[in-house]
Amino acid sequence: MDVGRHPKIELLTYSEIEEVNGYVGNFEVKIRKKARYVDPDLCNACGDCFDECPVSVPDEFQMGLSSRKAIYMQYPQAVPGAYVLDMESCLGNNPIACGACAEVCEQEAIDYDDQDEIVTRKVGTVIAAIGLDVYDPTEMDEYGYTRFENVITSMEFERLISSGGPTGGHFMRPSDQERPKRIGFIQCVGSRNPKIGRPYCSNICCMNTVKDTLLLSDHYPDTENLVFYQDIRAFGKSFEDLFQRSKQKGTKYIRGLPGDIEEDPETNNLHVTVENTTAGKIERYELDMVVLSVGVVPSEELQRISSLFTLSKTADGFFMESHPKLRPVDAPTRGVYLAGFCEAPKDIKDSVCQAGAAASKAGALLNSGEITVEAITSVIDPDLCKRCGICASVCPYSAIMWSKGEVAKVIEAACAGCGNCGAACPFDAITMRHFTDAQIKAQIRSILSENAEDKVFVFACNWCSYAGGDTAGVARFQYPTTNRLVRTMCSARVSEEMVLEAFRCGAPVVLVSGCHFTDCHYINANRQTVKRMQKLWDKLEKAGVRPERLQLEWISAAEGQRFVETMNRMEELRQTVTPEEIEHSMQALKSKPKKKKKKKEPAKAEASSSE
Amino acid sequence: MAKKTIETFRCMMCGHEYQEPVEEGEDREWMCPKCRSNSIRHIKKKGDKKKS
Repeated sequence: MDVGRHPKIELLTYSEIEEVNGYVGNFEVKIRKKARYVDPDLCNACGDCFDECPVSVPDEFQMGLSSRKAIYMQYPQAVPGAYVLDMESCLGNNPIACGACAEVCEQEAIDYDDQDEIVTRKVGTVIAAIGLDVYDPTEMDEYGYTRFENVITSMEFERLISSGGPTGGHFMRPSDQERPKRIGFIQCVGSRNPKIGRPYCSNICCMNTVKDTLLLSDHYPDTENLVFYQDIRAFGKSFEDLFQRSKQKGTKYIRGLPGDIEEDPETNNLHVTVENTTAGKIERYELDMVVLSVGVVPSEELQRISSLFTLSKTADGFFMESHPKLRPVDAPTRGVYLAGFCEAPKDIKDSVCQAGAAASKAGALLNSGEITVEAITSVIDPDLCKRCGICASVCPYSAIMWSKGEVAKVIEAACAGCGNCGAACPFDAITMRHFTDAQIKAQIRSILSENAEDKVFVFACNWCSYAGGDTAGVARFQYPTTNRLVRTMCSARVSEEMVLEAFRCGAPVVLVSGCHFTDCHYINANRQTVKRMQKLWDKLEKAGVRPERLQLEWISAAEGQRFVETMNRMEELRQTVTPEEIEHSMQALKSKPKKKKKKKEPAKAEASSSE
Repeated sequence: MAKKTIETFRCMMCGHEYQEPVEEGEDREWMCPKCRSNSIRHIKKKGDKKKS
């Protein structure tokens, strides 16, 4: 409500982001303001239209437990406090228009011809706070959610017990509208379950159930509450107190998740069978109602927003932050911050903290008016650029501007310096500052200038693999001394040419190593590493070089042990490589001089002079 | 629903060859089920390149 009234906040409700261009400090966002068919400035929320509307459809806010009209307000505290017309349900959308709402509206706020509007806003920073979706338990049929009326979700329970709910706060079960006396809560429905692809804890369900049991104990002291759980995770401030209070008030906590629920067709009561792992026996309970404590899932919108702002996702499908400890509210794309559930499941308190931090960071950036970037950005040589656009297509940050027939241009404020473009450019037109091709090749030649056959040549990414080596060193793990590391910011900086150069210089084994997929510090740049490796294995095989001599490993900064195991395996592999093989690869992979297209040169010269 | 195909992979570390269902647009790390190496070569069937 405060946000809606704030003079310096423009609140665009019922709107969707269509397109995003630009970069930190200069984002241009196209927003679709959906047609409301009711002018919010004229509507005084008198409700006359609602009373007259003849259409009745399930009310989404009440979880479908009651109905709403085609013209409606989503919930009483909605901002703006105005009605909206759901045109898909409205009879006015048919050839014979109903028009009942427009007839009674004294304010003349209803406009059936309203259209979606595209508006553009220029913003310096963006905070993604797109929230969550609730897990749909229909796929877990063992709990009978689709078969038994008295099996409901925790969200439905919330509406049933709320004074603003469909029953006006009179708690009743759906089958007979009687007040349930024995209620069972089943935890971890859609959470901590790898079988359905949701291995993560949803964070909020345990305490929500504890709260619900306390609510029931206070309002209806004669109800018998049972909670079936794997673990109760009450780790927040005062949460343990609440849990203990719930137990003191009589809620019975049974460690074990029910395997099956059956319904008595006459009474609609539910028979729950559970293995009580504390008592070590199978128990059966007859309950009036079962509440499935459903987990949370990433918002449906997440994928779309992720593509618009080039954000990356964790294995669980939530947004990935720049660094889990040091930059927990920064998205990998500069100028974008994350708040709330979209980053990971968290309760209200944590969401408020994160939102405050994101707002502070965004404010600090806007106030400073300038940003500092590390001097490791890419530079495109316009004379060498052949306008192919490959660099723009592989940049995970969309930091390269290119249009057909135009020389590509790096937006330095958006470039994070992964070097992927430099490795992908087939014309050597891109230089990555401080990690140039010439510098890296010089390191390769220098390392392999003496006793190359005794060395395992390793390209290690700055953030994970190289740090994994450090971890191994700090822990004083023992591993072969034959490896020689060249550090690049990302494994995607390693071009095909660099790997081939190492073989040409006599490397028996070349290892390219980087961050695990979910840890990639450059959104998803290391997927390009995989593509490059596939090409290289084909190329080596074609040249008669054993492709196994080129290896790929993902090693995180914490995986010192994995670094050691990898180095041991590389050393074993090195010992299988014969001097003849090394000699053959040095000859077979010799770079061929590039053919010059003499006819095209004058045209090129003209183009560069005109620039 | 994303299209699933059975793809062949070869571990460049231990030589283990195996098949796995792969979903279109899938984004996950490949790892040898035998030796846990990430050096996994995707063995494309003949004609795959033409189709793509």
